[in-house]
Amino acid sequence: MKCTFKNKRISSTITVVPSQEYRFDDEYPLFKMTEAQAKRFKKMMSLDRHRIAPPELCASDLCLFGVHRLLDAGVLKKEDIDAILFISQTPDYILPATSNVIHGKLGLDHDVICLDINQGCAGFVTGLQQACLLLEIPAVSKVLLLTGDTSSKLVDKRNRISYPITGDAGAATVIERCPEERTIYMDVKNDGSRYKALLIPGGAYRMPSSVETLELREVEEGVVKCLEHANMDGAAIFNFTMDDVPPQIRDVLAFSGDTWDSIEHFFLHQPNPFIVTQMAQKMKIPPAKVPNNVVSLYGNCSSTTIPMNIALNCSEPMLTGKHRVCLSGFGVGLTWASAVMDLGPLDFCKLVDYES
Amino acid sequence: MDKPEFYQRLAEILDVEEVKPEDVLKEFDGWDSLAILSVLAMADAKYGVSIKAEEIRSVVSAQDLANLVEAKHKPE
Repeated sequence: MKCTFKNKRISSTITVVPSQEYRFDDEYPLFKMTEAQAKRFKKMMSLDRHRIAPPELCASDLCLFGVHRLLDAGVLKKEDIDAILFISQTPDYILPATSNVIHGKLGLDHDVICLDINQGCAGFVTGLQQACLLLEIPAVSKVLLLTGDTSSKLVDKRNRISYPITGDAGAATVIERCPEERTIYMDVKNDGSRYKALLIPGGAYRMPSSVETLELREVEEGVVKCLEHANMDGAAIFNFTMDDVPPQIRDVLAFSGDTWDSIEHFFLHQPNPFIVTQMAQKMKIPPAKVPNNVVSLYGNCSSTTIPMNIALNCSEPMLTGKHRVCLSGFGVGLTWASAVMDLGPLDFCKLVDYES
Repeated sequence: MDKPEFYQRLAEILDVEEVKPEDVLKEFDGWDSLAILSVLAMADAKYGVSIKAEEIRSVVSAQDLANLVEAKHKPE
């Protein structure tokens, strides 16, 4: 569904990663890969390293650390926060909502909207949409959009397909009203008929946690998982990213009156560098406009890949000028969401390591 | 469609010298999820063809795969 939002902007964004960095070259024996297999996999997926949270660190801790950095920098004041959106699939608890926990830890007053949204790779753009909708409420002038996941907890370390490309991260992004005339153009689509393409079958209420759902099995060579781990139909997801996402991006550009040339940066979600390259080729976008180094350096960080990509590759230009950008997230749901908007000048744009 | 060229591209993906039409894909060591992803990408990039996940799972021989791509391929 297409929509537009007037006079709203992203004012600050910070991405926080765990300080623990692991290298593929050290890890591949875990996946029972031979040196030759590892070499082939590394080359095809441009793998190098990723950040993995220690067991006690939650997505909300990464997000909260980011919020404190924004507060310390003076680009956000506690009393200005009117809503907290926490976009995640790895919350602190089944209940209450993690946004409430964060609200409490920040010590905010009671006039704050708190909402958790279960979204993955399309989460930044769907979260942006919800933030813009909240900003239509007169009493809401700033929304804290928190995206975060510790997806490494949803895969076994001995899963050669998923683990090497997985990364943990959280981001805090401030969305606010702005007096300057700006329009955000957006399209969000869903296809629940394909929900099984990316699924954790067990551990919730359809298949409650039990000894059986926790039983680790080597389902194929080098792929250890249990029913409480993420299960992906890789070929179906590849079809989805190639068949559904590029037409949406084309449509949003037409909707906003932009062309491939008028967009400076395409910040696509980063499932892995191979898919991003294929998508860029399919859309005939010059690689220089499609930064594609997130997974090689940090791993696929679910809904945080978009703010991370911006902070990693375009921090300086975003602090100083206004840029026409296209954002696109796609994944679990299946959900795919793309936006065209002006980004910058931002008050804050950084990628930092978590410090306990 | 240039079939010999297709088999050559398939051989590169499977990291072997040569792929013959009658070769059974599952019997190649390299026929894993990465190879399947590479075939889907190659079909899309080189032939403008989207092979579906369920279609590639039903393919047995290299020739089946070539025929599948050819059937969907519309020459420009």
